[in-house]
Amino acid sequence: MQLPFGDYLVGNSLYPLALDLFIPTIVFFFFGASYRVFRYFAVYKKPFIPYATSVMRETSSTEKVKKLVDTFANSSKVGMKRKPVTTAAGLLMHLSLIVIIFLLAQHMVFWAYYIPPYKILFPFAIPESSADGALAFTLATSPYTSTSYPFVHDIWGPLTIILNGQYITYILMILLGIYLGHKFHALAEGLTLRSGDWWFFLLLYIDIILGFLATSHIPNSVVYYDDLLGAHIIVAEVLIATLPFTRGFHMFEFYLGKVREWYFMTYRRGEK
Amino acid sequence: MAIAETKVDMEALNKAIDEVFYGQLDSTMLYYFQSCVNCKACEAACPFTPTSLHYSPVNKAEVSRELYRYRFSVWGKTIGRFIGGSKKYLSLEEAETMVDYVWHCTNCGACMFVCPMAIDSGAMIDLLKQVAFKAGMVPKIYRDIADLEISGKYWEIDFFKNSWNSLISKIKDAIGKEVPLDKKGSEVLFYTSIYEALAYPDVLVKVAKILDMLNKDWTFMSKPLGIRPPIGLVIGDKEGAAEVMQRVYSYFTDISPKYVMLTAGGFEYPSLRYTMHETFKVKPKYEVVHVTELLAKWYENKEFEIEPLDETITWHDPCQLGRRGGVFEAPRVLMKALSKKFKELPSHGVNSFCCSRGGGGCGVPSMVENMAKTLGIPVSDDDKKFLDSTLEPLIKAGKIKVNEINKIKAKEVLTGCPVCIESIGFSIDYYHASSKVNHIVDILADRIKVNKK
Repeated sequence: MQLPFGDYLVGNSLYPLALDLFIPTIVFFFFGASYRVFRYFAVYKKPFIPYATSVMRETSSTEKVKKLVDTFANSSKVGMKRKPVTTAAGLLMHLSLIVIIFLLAQHMVFWAYYIPPYKILFPFAIPESSADGALAFTLATSPYTSTSYPFVHDIWGPLTIILNGQYITYILMILLGIYLGHKFHALAEGLTLRSGDWWFFLLLYIDIILGFLATSHIPNSVVYYDDLLGAHIIVAEVLIATLPFTRGFHMFEFYLGKVREWYFMTYRRGEK
Repeated sequence: MAIAETKVDMEALNKAIDEVFYGQLDSTMLYYFQSCVNCKACEAACPFTPTSLHYSPVNKAEVSRELYRYRFSVWGKTIGRFIGGSKKYLSLEEAETMVDYVWHCTNCGACMFVCPMAIDSGAMIDLLKQVAFKAGMVPKIYRDIADLEISGKYWEIDFFKNSWNSLISKIKDAIGKEVPLDKKGSEVLFYTSIYEALAYPDVLVKVAKILDMLNKDWTFMSKPLGIRPPIGLVIGDKEGAAEVMQRVYSYFTDISPKYVMLTAGGFEYPSLRYTMHETFKVKPKYEVVHVTELLAKWYENKEFEIEPLDETITWHDPCQLGRRGGVFEAPRVLMKALSKKFKELPSHGVNSFCCSRGGGGCGVPSMVENMAKTLGIPVSDDDKKFLDSTLEPLIKAGKIKVNEINKIKAKEVLTGCPVCIESIGFSIDYYHASSKVNHIVDILADRIKVNKK
């Protein structure tokens, strides 16, 4: 059955629909993000500073910079000591996610299409699969089709045998599985859980699986490929569009929170 | 739990929720409310998590978030209500849980530094404490002690009066002359509370001796300004705390010293240094400091030398002095001078593991009970049950603290907060550790050699 959706007959292929929804997604995201940021300004109250200190609190500029790094690292440092499993899983998950979102060759082409200066990062592109990595390394193959951006010549060299979309996706699926397990544990213990926990994680998990199926050509058919890739992009778009209203927004607010902590706990508190 | 068995005025509770949650939103609180990703990293730092995961900061603060969402977010008002993400008010059972949670948080701030998003869960739990107070759900024993402080009637109690006067006599004997009392314009106002006069009078005598030895222009208080002012802040009574702070501020302004020097690094330190002036929006001419700050400053100015010990010592960073107050460096200047074998605890600085009392538990239960009895405050069965319920966290957190002390084989644990001394001392005894815990001045005073100018 084919459903009409604008110019598209949904059911033929989700891919063109997904591409056309990208700009509206970004607009929706900026609308949500602006709303979220506006709220901060709406309730802002200028902090009152009673006085600066005169004793024993001077912090050199070097020390302040060092403490800025510490501020960002402290959570992981303490976590590795007291909660090693979940902290390690969390760190690896974030790292894998960042690598795959921003450095997977296919994703880089996508980003560069909308943000052309992104091309500068092409040498960091990681290949889709371990076989690509192995071939690039052992056979030193070049692209058969001419391209103005030969980004398949990445800087990772033999590392691409392990540093590739396929393996990182396996890792991501396992780590997100651990995270979901963590959520079920919290549910069983009657601990805090929020709708955003499920929404964000499930969408992310589904999206990764869809991307994996598409790039792996499972099932092996062009029609399915287009639909799977389209669904992968659409789910990512839903994720992005709702980001300002979910825990996903932490990818931006993380910096705000930590810099704020550093400013009030190191920079301002030590002022003279 | 004690509160559960008392009659809860639901109307007062709802009114309190509205007042507190509509009244205190600013961009910082908004950030704390809406930016938590529920990663539970804060569990690693909280002294109450070893008791139960329900006492982890994120779990306790969630009650605040639910009340916030209903009032300040579109989702909370709409879908949130149907999926359990927001609440307009609390049921009786939820209110009882809330009260249980707020007394399992010392507001030590450790969660903020370990939170990847830098969220201060203590600030949100403090809102719940204010709700509980306004709704009359504070343990009676604490409320009675706080009321005594607010009313000023503590000075009519012979036990307090005698303890204070006895302290002044001891100081007089130690320095061999009259104690300078309420002297205006002194360089140092030696500030202390009745609580400290009872907890460690010897430390206070030694501080006075150091000031005298160093020939400082100092003064002491003829009368204390409270039992441990402002207790109201610890029990969620902001108005009561403001009354007491007004009294303290007037006295400080009247004396107008250069420094107001505290020996206690508990909640009174950030309260009198920051909160008091922020509340009244005043920029004082004096500066509130901890005794270690002034001693380190004078030591670095070479006004005295320190004869070192030959044993392993360590410093416990009191949460309110360190994390909340920002005093990390000064005690370490003194500690390093005091022993070449100074070692840091595995968790120190901003990650110092809280003793699990202070800003939340208000001291070791037996001490609170004894103080109440001394003051003639009846200790009901409910109060007794409540106090007993605070013992388990002390034992659980104490184990972690004692393990850390044992790990570095410290003979002496020095610190700068009476409650830390009491609770760590309790843990050391409970786990039969061989270390001792003291106020830093206790050891330092006997090892100071004044440089003659």
